[in-house]
Amino acid sequence: MSATAEATDVLHPSDEGHAHEGKFHVFVQLAMILAIITGMELLVIYVPMPHWLIITLLMGMSAVKFVAVIFIFMHLKWDKPFCTILFFIGLILGGGTLGALLLIHSADASAPEGPAYEELG
Amino acid sequence: MSSHAAAGHIDHHHDATTTTGIPHKKLFMWAFLASDCMFFGSLIATHLIYRLHPPAGTPDPRDLFSIELTSGSTFILLMSSLLMALAVNSIQKGNVATTRKMLIGTIIFGLIFLGGQVYEFNHFVHVGGLTLNSSVFGSTFYTLTGTHGTHVAIGVLWLVLMYIRTFKPADESNGQGWILKGVFHFIAFTALTVLSMYTILALIHVLQEGHGWGYYFSHHYLSFGGSIILLGVLFAFARQSGPVDFGEAQAIDVESMGLYWHFVDIVWIVIFPVVYLLEYIVLA
Repeated sequence: MSATAEATDVLHPSDEGHAHEGKFHVFVQLAMILAIITGMELLVIYVPMPHWLIITLLMGMSAVKFVAVIFIFMHLKWDKPFCTILFFIGLILGGGTLGALLLIHSADASAPEGPAYEELG
Repeated sequence: MSSHAAAGHIDHHHDATTTTGIPHKKLFMWAFLASDCMFFGSLIATHLIYRLHPPAGTPDPRDLFSIELTSGSTFILLMSSLLMALAVNSIQKGNVATTRKMLIGTIIFGLIFLGGQVYEFNHFVHVGGLTLNSSVFGSTFYTLTGTHGTHVAIGVLWLVLMYIRTFKPADESNGQGWILKGVFHFIAFTALTVLSMYTILALIHVLQEGHGWGYYFSHHYLSFGGSIILLGVLFAFARQSGPVDFGEAQAIDVESMGLYWHFVDIVWIVIFPVVYLLEYIVLA
């Protein structure tokens, strides 16, 4: 065993056994929930509803799947909070860039111009 | 199982020897994934901007997309994440045999996803005429989904290497022999992957063209037979004798790889509605 592993904290054997058993069922249940949400995403686009509502529902379901995977499959729930903070720094920067670019390009002053767009008009 | 696993119960979420209390490999992987968020955020933004302001000549994606295929791929990737999580769970208990099975399952699901993407791209290019240069939509679509596919391919390669690593013998005097065996194991795995993907895609093509199984076996018997032989070779490699240098102490390696694999999954969780499903609403 490496020096790192040797020095790690020691769990009570029975505690660890329960933790692993619990995780197995949690993982399987989560996979089923993710599959169901994916099916719902597919159904939602065919339901006659306002576009804004469909888009909100889709983004909401996507966010739920995203958060469930990072916190349970990726163990953020059980890891030190610093891992969550580190990942969310990147996520917020990436998401912020995406949002900012979409807003900038949606402004009237940013409307694209050029031969390719004139053909459309 | 290695002797390491029997030595004690390891806390896989904390490491008292590091300044942060987090194993270095895990910290590195989270930092890398955070940077990859920014990378994919930019790619998704670029695709969306050109979809919201489409230049003349942009094809209607609904004429190209197969929502059934993409939904199937999404389901496969989600299930591969489950198997990856179970692989990590198994190795944290020191159960090498189950870890191997879960790794193989993840590899197969990853390959099915890649096969679906190859089929999809092939269909878009040859039937829809959508290439990297044909339109801005083609450029941003292939760049985004191709980059994701490349991540999946790297993940599959990593999984295969980790699977082979699980066979490293505990007896270190057999060092050179193990490396050579590992190289041949990898070659057999790669050859089977390429040949089986070709065989399956050929079968799909033959069935789509309306030919029967007889036509398929008469034209593709070499690739089909070769796949079966290579599968037998892999079974022979997997016959384990003696203790291995792989167990609970190596769980952090499997967990780091798992983090990468789950990240590939969450990127697809975003791409699926944003790139595919929204097309059926916004432009409807």
